[in-house]
Amino acid sequence: MQSSLGLDDLELWLEEGYPQSVRTAYLILGNRLDAEDAVQEAFLRAWKFRHSLSKESSFKPWLYRVVVNTCNSKLRKEIPLRERRSNEEELENIEVRDNVPERIAVAHDVLSALKDLPAHLRVVVVLRYYADLSEREIAIAIDRKQGTVKSRLNEARRRLALHPALRSEVSGVSNSDEEITG
Amino acid sequence: MIDEDELSAAIHGAADEFEISIDAKNRILNEARQDEPDQRRNVIPDHFRHQSRGRQFLSVAAVFIVLAAISIPLFRGEIAPSRNKVAVSGTGFLPVTLNSTGLAVKSLSPAPAKTATGEVGTTVTSTSASPRSAATLSPKIESTGSVGLTVKKGQVNSSLTKLGALAVNDGGFVLSTQANARTRGTGSFSSGTIVLEVPQHVFSKFVAQVQGVGHATSILTSSSDVTSQYVNLQARISALNASRQQYLAILARATSISGILAVQNQLDAIQSQIEQYQGQLNVLNHATTFGTLTVALSQSGAPAHVTHHRSGLSKAWHDGVGGFVAGFEWLIRLAGPVLFAALFLGFLLVAGRWTRRAVRRRRI
Repeated sequence: MQSSLGLDDLELWLEEGYPQSVRTAYLILGNRLDAEDAVQEAFLRAWKFRHSLSKESSFKPWLYRVVVNTCNSKLRKEIPLRERRSNEEELENIEVRDNVPERIAVAHDVLSALKDLPAHLRVVVVLRYYADLSEREIAIAIDRKQGTVKSRLNEARRRLALHPALRSEVSGVSNSDEEITG
Repeated sequence: MIDEDELSAAIHGAADEFEISIDAKNRILNEARQDEPDQRRNVIPDHFRHQSRGRQFLSVAAVFIVLAAISIPLFRGEIAPSRNKVAVSGTGFLPVTLNSTGLAVKSLSPAPAKTATGEVGTTVTSTSASPRSAATLSPKIESTGSVGLTVKKGQVNSSLTKLGALAVNDGGFVLSTQANARTRGTGSFSSGTIVLEVPQHVFSKFVAQVQGVGHATSILTSSSDVTSQYVNLQARISALNASRQQYLAILARATSISGILAVQNQLDAIQSQIEQYQGQLNVLNHATTFGTLTVALSQSGAPAHVTHHRSGLSKAWHDGVGGFVAGFEWLIRLAGPVLFAALFLGFLLVAGRWTRRAVRRRRI
């Protein structure tokens, strides 16, 4: 049990895990404010229940599990009750840097494709291709079997490959799909 | 299928557009700091707080079971709290030492009769320890029973007489007799019932004697220990008597008519209650002095059982069919509990799995 952890440890957690966690939440939820809310709530919950983190278990999937659960909770309860903040609005807030239009367009397309995925598929895609969790770690994070994770990833990739927004951005869309369909 | 590396790069690119707020981490730290003192103030012990939910649940359940185990017998009166212990132990077969007189003289004031009787339990014990006024009370047992007898044809009448004589010989008496004739005017009875009262100490012996009169077809006897009821009634009467004495003393000193009338009213109420309790005590006394036995007589003469002599093959066939039916019945009987057990286990499995999953999700 990790009950002897102090606030310094929380600071360390934040240093190491906050940026990636908040971006993960952003990809799952689709907007900045919800993501920040969710991750703040997730870190506070994780801190409150830090005793449930056993010494043997890995911190990363455990933290992502809290983050994913908080995001799921928001997706189920809060977000459907109000109008979602639009991605366009978010993208307008992106700071002006070099080659802005192209990057904004890419980000918009990716977010749009992710948004069109069902939540359970979106979560595994983000955890795998953004948070770089292994299938086993994702299984821990979403409390499902590894086989389920594998099949969800396959399904998600299949759907993303067919998404019109991503077809133009990612050149690696398999030709086989096109060959089959076309 | 989409290429994994390119998908990863695209998602990373989209995520990188998200600018991390500098204040966000500080906000979380501040929130956590504010929560910390609250946790310290928490009155729940640390070791309990850090237990898993399952263990917490088990702890709470264990406490609940222990409390229930203690409180249920208390409410039922199986474990008498302190003072009533004397009265309750009297329900056993060992003699009980109790004060039978002057139980409540000190503690009872001239109060309404209801309150006075309510104090009885207290005073029984407090005075029972006094060796001067102690009396030995043997257990009070109430016995009842019924015996079914079959006698030879035409002997119902004589058997009834014989049973009455047996009861009188043992110091008892006949409470009631009833005889039924099958046809009018024949003078002989086909069945009858006699209720006998015999002293408690010979009750068992008497039941054995009754069985000798005919062929016993059924015997049912039961005994109950009514010592506690007996003691309770005695104590109530004593307490009321003491209260009555107090009122009489007040009545002697009363000067006004209204005062005399008020005290007289109370005295009447107390007297009425004393008589009521005394009546109950008398009934109980009689019930514990004499055991009641009801004997139902009937004469034999039922049609004899006709036996069919079957051939060996027929008997074997019938035995075989009987065995098959018996086996089938046994299977059906067995299937019920097995099916129930399987369903129950399945339900437990599903519920356990669902609960475990729910708990694991809620925990973080």
